[in-house]
Amino acid sequence: MDLSYIFIVCLLALCSADAESKQKSGRGRGSMWWGIAKVGEPNNISPISTGIMYMDPAIHSTLRRKQRRLVRDNPGVLGALVKGANMAISECQHQFRNRRWNCSTRNFLRGKNLFGKIVDRGCRETGFIYAITSAAVTHSIARACSEGTIESCTCDYSHQTRSPQANHQAGSVAGVRDWEWGGCSDNIGFGFKFSREFVDTGERGRNLREKMNLHNNEAGRAHVQAEMRQECKCHGMSGSCTVKTCWMRLANFRVIGDNLKARFDGATRVQVSNSLRQSSNAVAVVSPNAAGSNSVVGGVSGGGNGLPASVSGYDDEERMLNDHMPELLLDNSHPNGKQHHPNMPSPNSLPVAGARARGHGRGRQGRKHNRYHFQLNPHNPEHKPPGPKDIVYLEPSPSFCEKNLRQGILGTHGRQCNDTSLGVDGCDLMCCGRGYRTQEVVVVERCACTFHWCCEVKCKLCRTKKIIHTCL
Amino acid sequence: MSGTILENLSGRKLSILVSSLMLCQVACFLMGGLYAPVPAGHQTVVGIKCRDVPGRQNDTNFFLYSRGNGACKSLQDMDIEQDPLKMANQLVYVFQMPLPRDNRTLDYSRWQQNLIGVLQVDIAYDSSSELREPPKELQLTIDTRLAYRNKKDADTDWKLYAHSVEQRYLDCHAAHVGLLETLYTCDIIPLFELGALHHNFYLLNLRFPIDTPKRMNLQFGHMHDLTLTAIHQNGGFTQVWLLLKTLLFPFVVGIMIWFWRRVHILQRSPALLEYMLLYLGGALSFLNLPLEYLTLSIEMPYMLLLSDVRQGIFYAMLLSFWLVFAGEHMLIQDTPNKSTIRSRYWKHLSAVVVGCISLFVFDICERGVQLRNPFYSIWTTPLGAKVAMSFIVLAGVSAAIYFLFLCFMVWKVFKDIGDKRTSLPSMSQARRLHYEGLIYRFKFLMLATLLCAGLTVAGFIMGQMAEGHWKWNEDIEIQLTSAFLTGVYGMWNIYIFALIILYAPSHKQWPTMRHSDETTQSNENIVASAASEEIEFSNLPSDSNPSEISSLTSFTRKVAFD
Repeated sequence: MDLSYIFIVCLLALCSADAESKQKSGRGRGSMWWGIAKVGEPNNISPISTGIMYMDPAIHSTLRRKQRRLVRDNPGVLGALVKGANMAISECQHQFRNRRWNCSTRNFLRGKNLFGKIVDRGCRETGFIYAITSAAVTHSIARACSEGTIESCTCDYSHQTRSPQANHQAGSVAGVRDWEWGGCSDNIGFGFKFSREFVDTGERGRNLREKMNLHNNEAGRAHVQAEMRQECKCHGMSGSCTVKTCWMRLANFRVIGDNLKARFDGATRVQVSNSLRQSSNAVAVVSPNAAGSNSVVGGVSGGGNGLPASVSGYDDEERMLNDHMPELLLDNSHPNGKQHHPNMPSPNSLPVAGARARGHGRGRQGRKHNRYHFQLNPHNPEHKPPGPKDIVYLEPSPSFCEKNLRQGILGTHGRQCNDTSLGVDGCDLMCCGRGYRTQEVVVVERCACTFHWCCEVKCKLCRTKKIIHTCL
Repeated sequence: MSGTILENLSGRKLSILVSSLMLCQVACFLMGGLYAPVPAGHQTVVGIKCRDVPGRQNDTNFFLYSRGNGACKSLQDMDIEQDPLKMANQLVYVFQMPLPRDNRTLDYSRWQQNLIGVLQVDIAYDSSSELREPPKELQLTIDTRLAYRNKKDADTDWKLYAHSVEQRYLDCHAAHVGLLETLYTCDIIPLFELGALHHNFYLLNLRFPIDTPKRMNLQFGHMHDLTLTAIHQNGGFTQVWLLLKTLLFPFVVGIMIWFWRRVHILQRSPALLEYMLLYLGGALSFLNLPLEYLTLSIEMPYMLLLSDVRQGIFYAMLLSFWLVFAGEHMLIQDTPNKSTIRSRYWKHLSAVVVGCISLFVFDICERGVQLRNPFYSIWTTPLGAKVAMSFIVLAGVSAAIYFLFLCFMVWKVFKDIGDKRTSLPSMSQARRLHYEGLIYRFKFLMLATLLCAGLTVAGFIMGQMAEGHWKWNEDIEIQLTSAFLTGVYGMWNIYIFALIILYAPSHKQWPTMRHSDETTQSNENIVASAASEEIEFSNLPSDSNPSEISSLTSFTRKVAFD
């Protein structure tokens, strides 16, 4: 079974090879789907029109074969993906509004990456983009399930024994019986499972860059999972707690963006470990969670490829973050994870849901988990290995000061800056010493509104003066 | 001589009875644990924002819905941000229940009994405006409309179920502090409770009217997400529960009839404890009566209230029974007359009555009013919450008084028994064995009561602590919450069943006592007449008219005069 799977994967790779011929191999291979953010406005994609939308040539060229199949099989998912991609972009731009690199997206062109050529480099900005997009897909799919816009969301069956009579019947009758018998509680795990299937399609984890992408994608999902909160309601006799129902609740995406930004600031630079070079499928390497507490497996020979730890300014921060954030929640990375967290019932169902859904072969499922079963080693051997929620990168970032289209850098010309700040958003750092221009603009806003229900609003127009600094 | 079955039952028969009842108990537990699903299911519905149709805001027969033909177009956050007024007074939050899953349109079944909706509010405050954080008591005014539709109806055919303008107080805390805005997440607020889940689909339309002169909704910045969690009872649990009730009901009714016929064969009026047992059986049968079957065809929104009342009556009866049981086994009686509830126990039982009445009033205030307005909750206003709390505190205080009193009485009975035990060696051999057996069985029953109460409390705590399900091994998974509910329900049924059997008057004679204890019988006669009680011990040797409820009582009364 394993052999046949590899064979199929090879075939698929051959088939899709010409479509991605423009891409450097192993670089932004799995990231072309980001382009769907610009394909259609999310408003235009309603569940009814998805049948037509997935035939759209722009989407067709953006998505890989497997992604197209996923979109086709799950009506309504495309709208959520578009929403998620846009959410990721706007969150990224919000988090980086005060930095030299401000997460700018280019006008979407066929065969080009949405975030530009920066994605070709394995720098920490790239790592952040991967993490935030994967988190956004997870978040937006899970949310769309709660909105009822995706009809193929699955139920969380982990808490109930299935009704015996339902097992004999097939198809929708059994499903309706199941719902009547044991209800259909939310399965946030569907979002995680879908994100893995969809986002990680192109990343096979065969080279270091793909491992970096996979790790960052997983980190994004782990942050969504870690920010879920449990809510409970008692509804027993006279409202007493003899019967209590609990459910998980997704955090606002802004909170996830904040956490990811903190991880970006403390990102870990990683490098190839010996074991990784030897066995590309990385079976012998321990899982990230286990390695978090144990020593590094794979024997790093000090300083490996001879690159100096040039960005060591981040290292202390990283250490601090690693110490403070307990890696409790990434059960996903345990392929055979058996422990249950007392307060987190639903996410644990993810591997179960994955195994039950849509008849994947067992061997294939096991294979899939092996893909996430690797350990990256820190570039500086004195540092801790990256945890499951950490963002990792391979090479130092460029300065982003000057426009360099070959590297996909737009530069900071014309960016707004803050003349009083001493940080990166301050005019000195932002404009890289080129100086800035000061303008005064008048902003007209509605203000002092009075409302009457129903339905009258009266507002005044207020003029406020604002001083804007822009980099030369 | 004769007494209750408990005393005349041989140890072997008693152990057989107890072990078969134990088996029933295990069966009840496993029925909930292995067969039933979790008691309640839930779906979390994120509100879809739609633009209100101008002019229809006050039309309560107009509904916006998010799925099906003619569904409203959902607005994205971006559209709302771009609007200069952030679409104030133009937004409707639409919740359509239940959500589709596994490529199917789900619908509520009548087996799912009831629906509870709680609302989760996420709000944000602009850092630039003058209102930067929520005030202490943030009041939210919600115009809420609930509609229903059935399977055969058209997609547009929503009919109004309830409409109300509700006030809710929000308790919010910051989730993210940013430069531009601060996000707050608020504690869940109860929104509605439906006692009858009679229709297939439900639709909730929420509006947040902003009105400057009425100072309505001016203080919350802007709303981000509304999440409704709709909790319903699981159909499978209802079925298992009803099965349990239907199985238990005939047994309890049968044993009551048997008990009452047995009491009536005796040529005396039934004793107080026998009445109490009968009332207790009656209350249990009322609880067991599977009225829920009716909800499958009739809409009964008062079902939640009714089940509360039924449970309340049962618990009141059980608590009163324990008091009377302990009181009737008191060795030194204050009054020589035959005891009735009124003459002897009104003081003792007043705690039970006060507690039950206060809980009943609370329930009427909450679930009774919900019959008229499903969005009503007594907890939402500060005054209402105080009133509700005071009722609950009153009930709690009465419960505490009751238990102190009960413990005192039980302690007194045990102390008296212990005191009189010292006089046992002076009695004849057969008689001593007999009485020792009686004391043992009385203690045994006290122990059973304590065990049942303890198991209930332990099960409750376990249900609160545990995650809700527990894996035995790979294949067997025990649903703890359901197992606790069915187990406890079955346990009290079995307890009362056993009580009615064991305390039924026995017709059997005490074979060894018949001739050897003539002298003691006469002794008892003297004692009885001296105590001027109505007990006719003189009839005992002939055994045609055994009148004493329990020879333990006779023993205790007798020794009180020794």
